[in-house]
Amino acid sequence: MTHDEITCRRLILECLVDYEDGTMVEAERLQLEAHLSHCPPCVVFIKTYRATGRTLRMLKPREIPDNLADAVMKFVKERCGEKK
Amino acid sequence: MAEDQNAVDLELVRGIKKGDDQAFREMVDRYHARVYSLAYGVLRNPEDAEEATQDTFLTLYRKIGTFDESKKFFSWFYRVALNHAYSRARRRRPVSTVSLDEALPRFQADGHQASRELAAWADGIEDEAIAKDLAERAAGFIEELPEGYRDVIWMVDVENMRPVDVAETLEISLAALKSRLHRARLYVRQRLSEIAAAPAATQKRGAL
Repeated sequence: MTHDEITCRRLILECLVDYEDGTMVEAERLQLEAHLSHCPPCVVFIKTYRATGRTLRMLKPREIPDNLADAVMKFVKERCGEKK
Repeated sequence: MAEDQNAVDLELVRGIKKGDDQAFREMVDRYHARVYSLAYGVLRNPEDAEEATQDTFLTLYRKIGTFDESKKFFSWFYRVALNHAYSRARRRRPVSTVSLDEALPRFQADGHQASRELAAWADGIEDEAIAKDLAERAAGFIEELPEGYRDVIWMVDVENMRPVDVAETLEISLAALKSRLHRARLYVRQRLSEIAAAPAATQKRGAL
């Protein structure tokens, strides 16, 4: 593959997921980064792609209600007789 | 570490299958916070999240016999939890799923991007209040995804589960999983970018 074969379309639709998780073949990664060095729109695209990931991680841990584990045990016990 | 986690899970699973109450209690202690956290992310309401958590553990207790021990327990259980959260969400607000193709970026014939992206919203997430607002919107966008895409993005991007484990649970190839993950991310990214491009609507919600 030559440098020119990495287009914005190919970078965004085919390569980005491997690039981001670090599983891209080294030679292809270098070509992708060469494309980025002269393509500001793709740099912006990757920035927003990463910001999406960071945003999603904010959906994680919340405050957990006190005694939730006890409430779960009570709930299951009530519905399954006295087995628990 | 993931292997150790699964080994402990499997020991508890076998205990529960044999009717060991203590094993069930340990499973509740081990995962109630993560199940609640997931349910809250989907439902965004503490009461609903607590009820979805209870339903999830009830299903665990009743259906543990259907779990295939050759699979990773937590990925299986996480899907049970997702299904409970979304079935509760659908009762509350039916959502129609979307066409992912419509959210794909546009390209010119030569492969260049056809539209200029706005980077500003990506900088905005440095502000915690804005980031939280966007995260809430993102949860709504995930809800619009077809189920196979929705589950993948939750499990990998929100829960940080290993893609290989998720692929195994969903019984799809790693390549297929990555494809779904990428399409789901592109959809959410596009919708978040649209918010940024519509400042009036965003300001109304008090962000940006």
